[in-house]
Amino acid sequence: MNAAGLRTMPLARVYLAAGLAATGLYFVVPWDSFGQALLYDAIGASSAVAVVVAARIHRPSTQLPWYLFGAGLLSFSLGDVLFNLYDQVWNREPPVPSVADAFYLAGYPFLTIGLLLLVLRLRSQERRVGLIDAALLTVAFGLCQWIFLMEDLVRGSASASEKIVALSYPAMDVVLLAALVFLALTPAWRTVAYRYLTASILLLLVADEIYGVSPDTYADASWLDAGWLLSYVLWGVAALSPSMRGLSEPKRSRDPRLTTLRLAVLAAALAAAPAILLVERATDGNIDAVAIAVGAVVLSGLVLLRLAGLIRSLDRLRGAERVARAEAESVRRQLADQNEQLREADRLKDEFVALISHDLRTPLTSIMGYLELTLEDGELSKRQSGYLEIVDRNAKRLLALVNDLLFVARLEAGELDLHPSKLDLAAVVRQTVSEAEPRAAASGITLTCEAEPVPPVSADRGRIFQLLDNLVSNAIKFTPEGGDVRVSVAQANGAVRLEVADTGIGVDADEQRRLFERFFRASTAAERQIPGTGLGLYIARAIVEAHGGSISVESEPGRGTSFRIDMPVEEAEVHA
Amino acid sequence: MSDGRLVLIADDDEDILALVRTIVERQGHEVMAARDGAEALALVVQRRPDLAVLDISMPELDGLQVLRRLRAESHTRDVPVVLLSARAQEADVALGFGTGADAYVRKPFSPRELADHVAQLLER
Repeated sequence: MNAAGLRTMPLARVYLAAGLAATGLYFVVPWDSFGQALLYDAIGASSAVAVVVAARIHRPSTQLPWYLFGAGLLSFSLGDVLFNLYDQVWNREPPVPSVADAFYLAGYPFLTIGLLLLVLRLRSQERRVGLIDAALLTVAFGLCQWIFLMEDLVRGSASASEKIVALSYPAMDVVLLAALVFLALTPAWRTVAYRYLTASILLLLVADEIYGVSPDTYADASWLDAGWLLSYVLWGVAALSPSMRGLSEPKRSRDPRLTTLRLAVLAAALAAAPAILLVERATDGNIDAVAIAVGAVVLSGLVLLRLAGLIRSLDRLRGAERVARAEAESVRRQLADQNEQLREADRLKDEFVALISHDLRTPLTSIMGYLELTLEDGELSKRQSGYLEIVDRNAKRLLALVNDLLFVARLEAGELDLHPSKLDLAAVVRQTVSEAEPRAAASGITLTCEAEPVPPVSADRGRIFQLLDNLVSNAIKFTPEGGDVRVSVAQANGAVRLEVADTGIGVDADEQRRLFERFFRASTAAERQIPGTGLGLYIARAIVEAHGGSISVESEPGRGTSFRIDMPVEEAEVHA
Repeated sequence: MSDGRLVLIADDDEDILALVRTIVERQGHEVMAARDGAEALALVVQRRPDLAVLDISMPELDGLQVLRRLRAESHTRDVPVVLLSARAQEADVALGFGTGADAYVRKPFSPRELADHVAQLLER
């Protein structure tokens, strides 16, 4: 099976089950037997193997910590083997200190360095805060160790080497706990692997502590072995759990907050010194004032440091907020300025258009006036008259463009003033059609009018005529020779409906809704070079909407286009 | 030119002035031409016209101001006035009639349209 296959196997659970079974078996087999010793050694060694194998299978981003764990566990296990050799093979009590002690004590630094390496993968901000918190707990725990375990050992009557070895165990426990706490105060604690690791180390520490407090009772308290054995097993399970990779991944986290857990840590650390003092006084009254005072001072210092860090990070946040506010304000002001500039530009544009439109009329007056005079004189050849008629037609186009531009400029300046009166739309339609008749005939187009009697509407006669003339002219313009343009007016759903339908070139579906936009020209119109400004329908919609009506278009390319306008009728008129 | 009448015309655009002069003279009338409002009033002092065709946008005095002066003087009060203007908004037209004009012709105009107004006003 390859690594990928192994990765998906519930290896952690299999190892946990096997480990628990082996631990159970340990208490079933005959006590102090060779087999039992062998089983103990096997469980220890298996955990070292499991950790190394897990690192190979799961391939976390940093593997070194896990090899260090493997080395530490192996070192412990070798200590066990040597201890058992004294007991089972050489049949004598191990000397103090023994070679076994050397291996045991060598295991702790490996484990501790491994834990610290995992912590180093995390962000510096996390590390600083975690470091202070870990230091707090370590000092508090160290103070307990000193007062309750180590102080008595130092004052005891053992030889110097015995003392050193005996003192080393509680000292190593302090170091290991420090590393564990350090890791606990980082986001790593959220992983399953971390929880097994914590359980394992806590079991190890508790067993060590109990052994440390009363080493002589070990023979009677054989259940202590369960602590060490399970510690081995759980360490292996932690490594085999796939989430062990998460322990090596730097995680993004929010700025450190003062969580309940952290407050509890700070409070416990502050309370450690007075609590020890009280316990000492209640038990033997032999108080080591110097150690407690030094411990209390160090703890207070660390708590202060921690609080200072919190306040500094709050200040940083507040500073960042001020900067963000200032930026938002400046952006807002910039936007306001830009809006003002846009409005000014818009106003200038409208003024410019009005001015240009006005000043264009003056030269157009001369051009069109003299043209008419020349044509009336009748002294021209037919060809010359034909040329001048083209000039005249184009002058009229230019005038229409000027008028449209002026109209739009006024429209956008909000200066479109209507002069509504009671209007018979059927009459306006008939007038529009009769005026457009000659143009339709010239283009070979049949122009028909269907005008039913309709109730009067309130509308500006000039504007409605402009609107209808615009639509009819458009229809004639976009309909090929031989086509039809039909204009109709009828009553429909409380409105008067005007329709201008042609059999012209039509408009693509995706261009239909853009037809009423300013300066929009349908691609068919542009391709066929049909003249226009793209303002006609924009103006048409503006006129219709200014009257409270609505305009819509239906079209099929190649088949024709139909514009429909609904003009509102006053309620009283509908039923009249 | 038995029925020839005197027509005052005023426009600051030389070409339009000539156009109006041609239209009016074709109808057999005499023309006195001014290039601004002040000149137009000076001409009126010399000879009372039978009709005035005034452009609105002119330097010195504009057409509306000339119209007001004409209406204010007793001997010119009844002179018919045609206003010419490139200002085509309805408000402008209303202002022209309100000031006392008898006709309002928007530029660009058709010579025939202006001739009709002139003929009609001189007939009265």
